[in-house]
Amino acid sequence: MSRGKIAIIGIGEVPTASMPDRTQWDILYDTCMEAVRDSGLHKNDIEGAICVSPQAQPKITAELSFGKLPEELGLKGCRDTVVCNAGGASTSNCLRLAEQWIENGTAQAVLIPHVTVHSTVPIPDLINFFAQAGVDLQWEYPFGSTYNIIMGLMAKRYMHETGCTPEEMASVVTALRSWAAKDPHSIFYGKEVPSVEKVMQSSLLNTPLHKRESNVLADGGCAMVVVSAAEAKKMKRPAAYKLGESVRYFSGTPLMRDFHKVVEGFYLTGKESLAQAGITKDDVSLWNIYLAYSLAHPLMAEALEVAPLGQGGKYFAQGRMSFGGDIPWSTIGDAVGRGHTGSGVSAALYVETARQLMGKAGERQVKDCRYVFQNTAGGSGFNNIATVWGRDF
Amino acid sequence: MEFDMTKPNPEVQPWSMKFWEGTKEGKLFIQFCKDCKSYIFYPRKFCPECWSGNLGWKQASGKATIYTFSTAYDMVEPKFMDELPYTIAYVDLEEGIRLMTRIVECKPEDIEIGMPVEVVFYPRNDFMLPYFRPVKK
Repeated sequence: MSRGKIAIIGIGEVPTASMPDRTQWDILYDTCMEAVRDSGLHKNDIEGAICVSPQAQPKITAELSFGKLPEELGLKGCRDTVVCNAGGASTSNCLRLAEQWIENGTAQAVLIPHVTVHSTVPIPDLINFFAQAGVDLQWEYPFGSTYNIIMGLMAKRYMHETGCTPEEMASVVTALRSWAAKDPHSIFYGKEVPSVEKVMQSSLLNTPLHKRESNVLADGGCAMVVVSAAEAKKMKRPAAYKLGESVRYFSGTPLMRDFHKVVEGFYLTGKESLAQAGITKDDVSLWNIYLAYSLAHPLMAEALEVAPLGQGGKYFAQGRMSFGGDIPWSTIGDAVGRGHTGSGVSAALYVETARQLMGKAGERQVKDCRYVFQNTAGGSGFNNIATVWGRDF
Repeated sequence: MEFDMTKPNPEVQPWSMKFWEGTKEGKLFIQFCKDCKSYIFYPRKFCPECWSGNLGWKQASGKATIYTFSTAYDMVEPKFMDELPYTIAYVDLEEGIRLMTRIVECKPEDIEIGMPVEVVFYPRNDFMLPYFRPVKK
């Protein structure tokens, strides 16, 4: 679809945290201004604004949907703005639309912001939103299902089929948190990395999911500036070039999601996106995987042939995907390590992909980072979008 | 802080009414396409295989095996807290249909993938939900 057509040239982000004192607009100002300054462009060079849809926040979603962002930020050159919503895959669709706008001349530079402030949403509303979103209201919700339970169902079957142990599953949290502890934008920055034993000792929410294998809801925001690959090349600034993409749809209702079709989808989208980028898995410097929950990471590692079949959990347990390991993996720690910002985890992961390729990842910088594989998934896992990014094209 | 403690009813569509009427009579109906002979779950307005509107219903045996399950101990909606612990499962019916359900009438620690189960109907407001219990040996 897109080998070398667009590039991310500017990024901005606020640390993920609980920030009830900050409004969404306060965060949007900071992240958008930082991203535009980082790009080297002037604010009036931004000709399009494509916003990641905030989840469970109807007021800010309505304001963004009805065009307030360019006006609020004084983006005098902006020709159009829109909000994209595909849950966790929203940012991927913002990037796709940016590519289209850049290709057809609608905009030469596009700003893609995300913001989420969970901490001021009334708790009953938050619980109700996450209980119903992505769950079928006729065939699942009445039985008392939750996101945690859906992930538990998938993990239980995976463990049954592969022999992956609870200890190996717990080691995924240790790996993800080892990256988060080094990430100034993580809610767990500088915090102790929980051992496998500590993860296992945390209370059981629903089998086989322990409390430390679940996510902490948090507030956060980030933004990116995207231009054509040719323009980015001309600007001679650090950039992340989009080199490949592939996607598969699975199902809207978790019950209808065939386990093997999902694994096949992970495998095919990985293969196709790498082929489109003209590289192989051995060329990938960093696997930036977004799955929201730790339990699906071993499965993804196997589907991408990063680990042999049935060995995904063992690879994590051996520390190979941890900070300092030989397979750099989810360097923001996915939602488990970053804190869950609704549709924002995948946005933050794209920012991290760009940060790594630009050589700005500090202590977490992957050595000689040339190619990053990144996936996103929408809703409770209705699809998988695989993308490949490079520091050149 | 006020939570809505009303237990949710299934949000029924016109073409799924027959399913829920059946559960009130202690019957598990599966939608069936008379043209392409496919079993359909969940019920649709048109057959998802061939888009035929020539649809009917067949009564399932109610026998199934557990494909996967997860027993909840915490962090469910407040309206379901009084039912903890409970086990949610995907079960595969003999007719080749997969349902989400609850596994009841047994201890959570006795539940296993592949376990044979049978349908049993439990009330929810004005509805009867199809739950499953282990088949007695």
